[in-house]
Amino acid sequence: MFDLSINAFFMQLLTGLQMGSIYVLIALGLTLIFGTLGVVNFAHGALYLVAIYLAVSINDAMGFGMALVLVPTILFILGLAMERGLIQFFYNRPHTDQILVTFGLAIVIQELLKWVFGANNIPFAIPSWGNGIILMHEWFPFLEGFVVYPKWRMILVVVSIVTVSAVFALLHWTTFGLVIRAGMRDSEMLQFLGVNINRRFMIVFGLGSLIAGIAGVFGGPVTQVSPEVGMHLLVPSFLVVVIGGMGSLSGAVLAGILIGMAQSFTAYDINLSTIIIYLITVIVLLVRPRGLLGAKGVFE
Amino acid sequence: MNIQQGFLQRNKAVVIFALIALTMPFWFPLLGGYSGLDTKIMIFCIFVVGFDLLLGYTGYLSFGHAAFFGIAAYTTGLMLKDFSAQIIPAIMVAVLVSTLVAVIIGLLTLKRTGIYFSILTLAFAEMFHSMAMAMLQEWTGGENGLTGMPTPMLAGIKMQGDAVFYLVTLVAIIMFYIAKRIERSPVGLMMRAIKCNQQRLEYTGINARKYKLLTFVISAMYAGLAGALMVVYEPFVGHEFLGWHQSGEIVIMSVIGGVGTLVGPMLGAGFMLYFENVLSVDLGEQWLLVLGFIFMAVVIFMPGGFMEALSRLYKRIKQE
Repeated sequence: MFDLSINAFFMQLLTGLQMGSIYVLIALGLTLIFGTLGVVNFAHGALYLVAIYLAVSINDAMGFGMALVLVPTILFILGLAMERGLIQFFYNRPHTDQILVTFGLAIVIQELLKWVFGANNIPFAIPSWGNGIILMHEWFPFLEGFVVYPKWRMILVVVSIVTVSAVFALLHWTTFGLVIRAGMRDSEMLQFLGVNINRRFMIVFGLGSLIAGIAGVFGGPVTQVSPEVGMHLLVPSFLVVVIGGMGSLSGAVLAGILIGMAQSFTAYDINLSTIIIYLITVIVLLVRPRGLLGAKGVFE
Repeated sequence: MNIQQGFLQRNKAVVIFALIALTMPFWFPLLGGYSGLDTKIMIFCIFVVGFDLLLGYTGYLSFGHAAFFGIAAYTTGLMLKDFSAQIIPAIMVAVLVSTLVAVIIGLLTLKRTGIYFSILTLAFAEMFHSMAMAMLQEWTGGENGLTGMPTPMLAGIKMQGDAVFYLVTLVAIIMFYIAKRIERSPVGLMMRAIKCNQQRLEYTGINARKYKLLTFVISAMYAGLAGALMVVYEPFVGHEFLGWHQSGEIVIMSVIGGVGTLVGPMLGAGFMLYFENVLSVDLGEQWLLVLGFIFMAVVIFMPGGFMEALSRLYKRIKQE
């Protein structure tokens, strides 16, 4: 059953980290948008979907380098357009309407992509430099014998760490970040102080979308490229946001890794691994209804 | 005589619904609907009426009502298969099971605001979906679905074709009547108060959570009843019954029709199933895309759905 050998433990740790990185990348955008704009974006999974399909197409046509530059850029612009064209009209409407309209948008995007690309999985060719395996036993001397891990998945973990660090740096060390963090606390007060938060909120939405773009470029080869992926990832990502605490960025990171690890370490039992994230959610809700790092007074 | 008249007066909506529903086998085929679709529409009418009590009256948007629908369907299927082909005990057990599940999920999901509620109901429904696919595969049949049920029986009558339609329609009329009674009752008032201003309601010393849970469980019972009847209608249970598509479908039906009106969501259910099964012939695979656009347009421009459109139209005609 539970293998306690150091090798198996290490492998599960890596797998957990890799699964967690995708959750973190998607949940980060979700929680950023939720924390600042107060909008629960049911279309966030669909944004990820747009990203992976764009990544596959651009990768095939122009190579991975172009995909890496173009996809996050397009997603950023798409995010801005979505906020200006749709979401901004819903700030003053009930949360229910926000959820409904983003849900509708998610269906439209998913069906459009299904129409254009078909319902089947499209192979995502990894660039040659990302192919192959990493010999883990050469890096970590405590491992016994021969231990390897797919290179691409390690790249995904590194990309996730870099992205998360960049977002934190942006929010904590720039004036823009300061305003955004203040907006997450109390956007009304900020408006009274004469800050134009609307333009900044638009950029936050674009930013969340851009992160989904990065997630799509690197996560696509791992999560498959099919129309159902968006919704499949949305549910665990929502739970990551809830477990971490709505609107808490560090909570999302912590919860994402927690969920990834939990799924990885219960993989020996298919029954347990399918429900483990829900079990964790229930426990967290009972013990800490606000989420692990949820701040008091945020959307109560 | 007077009491009788009063009853009809007070329940005009129910009577009209009953007349339209019971005559459906005569006029529905003229619109291109195949026989059997009318039964399905009636089943979903039951589902959405219960759902509307929750969404339209308390304002809580559940994305996981497929859980109760699916759990009741699986329970009915297993009861028919392993216990007896009689539908009454099967339906009763099914509704009971989905009610119990609803109490547990309600206690967990209603802890915080409506946003939490939407996310968590979606998550728990997905949990049951993945459980049916993996853990409970032996019982549910996993990917293939639950099959091999005998022909359902009500006493000595085989439940097929017209018999199912009239049974389901009768249940739908009764359930609509009950919903109308709930709407007018003190509990209905509480529901609307929760939607209006929950905080103020709590300040008056009323335990709002109790009423939220009650409404949630009632709507889950409606969903469970619909799920059970679905198996009577067609002896098959697929895992899609538990999926988010199913939950989303109910949300779309309710919103397109107009939430908070009880009648609207039933119109929505009829429209959507008609759209999905009859109009989609011309649209092919893209019917869901078109429906998505319609849904978005309704949410953006006409949050009151068809019912709002009808009342606007009615006002304009009256003015002229």
